[in-house]
Amino acid sequence: MSTNPLIKIEDLHTFFYSKAKQAFIRAVDGISMEVPRGKTLGIVGESGSGKSITMMSVLGLISAGPGVIRGKVIYDNGRIKKNLLQGLDDFVDLQEHDGTIMQVDKDLYGWQQHSEQLMKNIRGNEISIIFQNPKAAFNPFTVIGEQIAEMVLLHTRINDPVAAKAKALYWLERVKMDAPEVRYYNYPGALSGGMAQRAMVAMALASEPALLIADEPTTGLDATIQAKVLQLLAEIKADLGITIMIISHDIGVISSLSDYVAVMYGGTVLEYGSAKDVLSTAYEKKHPYAKALLASIPGLENIEKNGARLKAIKGEVLDTIRVVEGCKFASRCDCMTDSVKHKCNTQQPPLEDIGGGHKIRCWLYQ
Amino acid sequence: MKIKYIQHTKDVSQYSELSLLKRSDKTDVVFVGYGLFILSMVLISYLLGVLGWLPFTADDMDMDLMMALPGTGSHILGTDFLGRDMLTRLILGIQAYFLPGLLAIVVALGLGTFMGVLSGYRGGYAETVITYINNVTDSLPRLVLILLVVAAFKPDIYIIMFVVGLTNAPAVASLVKDKITFLKQKNFLEASVALGLSTRTIIFKHILWYNCRTLLIIQATLGMAEAILIETSLSYLGFGVQEPTPSWGNMIQAGANYMMRGDFWPSTAPALAILLTVLGFHLLGDGLNNILEGKRRK
Repeated sequence: MSTNPLIKIEDLHTFFYSKAKQAFIRAVDGISMEVPRGKTLGIVGESGSGKSITMMSVLGLISAGPGVIRGKVIYDNGRIKKNLLQGLDDFVDLQEHDGTIMQVDKDLYGWQQHSEQLMKNIRGNEISIIFQNPKAAFNPFTVIGEQIAEMVLLHTRINDPVAAKAKALYWLERVKMDAPEVRYYNYPGALSGGMAQRAMVAMALASEPALLIADEPTTGLDATIQAKVLQLLAEIKADLGITIMIISHDIGVISSLSDYVAVMYGGTVLEYGSAKDVLSTAYEKKHPYAKALLASIPGLENIEKNGARLKAIKGEVLDTIRVVEGCKFASRCDCMTDSVKHKCNTQQPPLEDIGGGHKIRCWLYQ
Repeated sequence: MKIKYIQHTKDVSQYSELSLLKRSDKTDVVFVGYGLFILSMVLISYLLGVLGWLPFTADDMDMDLMMALPGTGSHILGTDFLGRDMLTRLILGIQAYFLPGLLAIVVALGLGTFMGVLSGYRGGYAETVITYINNVTDSLPRLVLILLVVAAFKPDIYIIMFVVGLTNAPAVASLVKDKITFLKQKNFLEASVALGLSTRTIIFKHILWYNCRTLLIIQATLGMAEAILIETSLSYLGFGVQEPTPSWGNMIQAGANYMMRGDFWPSTAPALAILLTVLGFHLLGDGLNNILEGKRRK
């Protein structure tokens, strides 16, 4: 068995064109990360830092007219090895000038056709996804069981509707749905948020994927249900050996599941490493943004440290239309020292390994 | 209104859902029942016409019994101004609507669905073009358009109904498009793509079959009612089905000439038939809408 990562993202860029502002939005701006097989990668960051767009780029769901993707996404499960963005560049003519995109010509139709071709046996088969709003992700006019069975029929070797139903019931049972035989015939609207999320997990797993992408899987659920869904994901990961990419703005969610964590801001990865390195408050070498994120979690530890007030990160999330010369986080950074100040404002720091695979994009540690 | 709730003490897994009939409103069930009755009458009349199992022939004139009231002699529904049997002509009148009406429905639903899916699912230029087509057809008075076509070709009921279907298509298209727009807001279409369903499965199974089928059934019932009304209007102007072939429209028109003399029956009978039939189709559509879409009457 090879030790290649299951999915490896190299220098991924995703741009959109804003007609109103006549400018390009650099939603994802040069991301590299990898997810080792059987492990979990957590992507954390504020809203608008490009987490979801990264996920959508990987799945080829960026179809908006001027959306442009560059870079490589190498998927390798041992049997299939391919770059999910192979050849998409050919349909796009990008003109850049000093790091600013001047003009993009895109053959939209060819691009979509090619993207569909690339994704043909990947979506559902190899990569499955759990959405933010599970109820809206089901067809509202048919029962959930049939939708799960449809996934089974479509993506596994089972071709018999009766066997598919049995399999769907098995998955409903597996995600600990109470009374699966009843829920099989429930419409999505009849489920509570937590049950709908379980059903969504069952549907995602029904195709027996190698990689499961969970996009904010616990948003909108109350704390106890959140904990149960996370526990369910952890159990599934342990039982099935599935690789999970989990995207959340909630560090609590990320820390409970992840083996590796990437901290994203303004479309770039600011810190990447094992969950222990990135999320432990004890560890000193840390990106100022990650530090600030950790300090803003409500919790006993932070209350003792900061007093009764929660510590917020000052300023606003980076407007990705603006091209920043220096570090993307510079305008909100607390830790800037005089010695690096000039560099921070003029030069983008590289993502440097500071030991043990722990990478930080900050001039403080270069 | 009195509401009774009963608390069951079974385990949740032992519950079975009430059947569609039981959980629907009684009013809707009655409406649909009446609609289905009318539908079956139409079907039976059509078959009787096709098989020729009629009490009299259509052109059989009984010179002694002109404009007889119902129950006169062997004429159950009386006779018209030429002494022809009313019941026979009413049954045969359906022939003028049944197949042409189906043609109108097929054209309207087929074309409308195609245009709706194109503009709703694909969007872009297709949407703009189809919106303009809809606006243009909406602004043309339909009867004038049909008269133009009749003038250009000939007063053939099939041509008329084809035009009716064409002019109905934009309405169906906008309904289908609205449905797809609504579904797009919920992100299940995106989820279907992400989970690897093919475009064909998404459009035909998940959009049209699961989400638009009730809408299309209702449009079909309304289409039939519409076909009857249009033919009546045209017959009154003399452009509908031509004598001696009976249709309810030209029966009203012919009978109306004798109304002033006090002989109201020859035009009232087909008028009643139209009223009951159109009402039946409308109530069928309305009731089905409420039952299948799970709506509640207030």
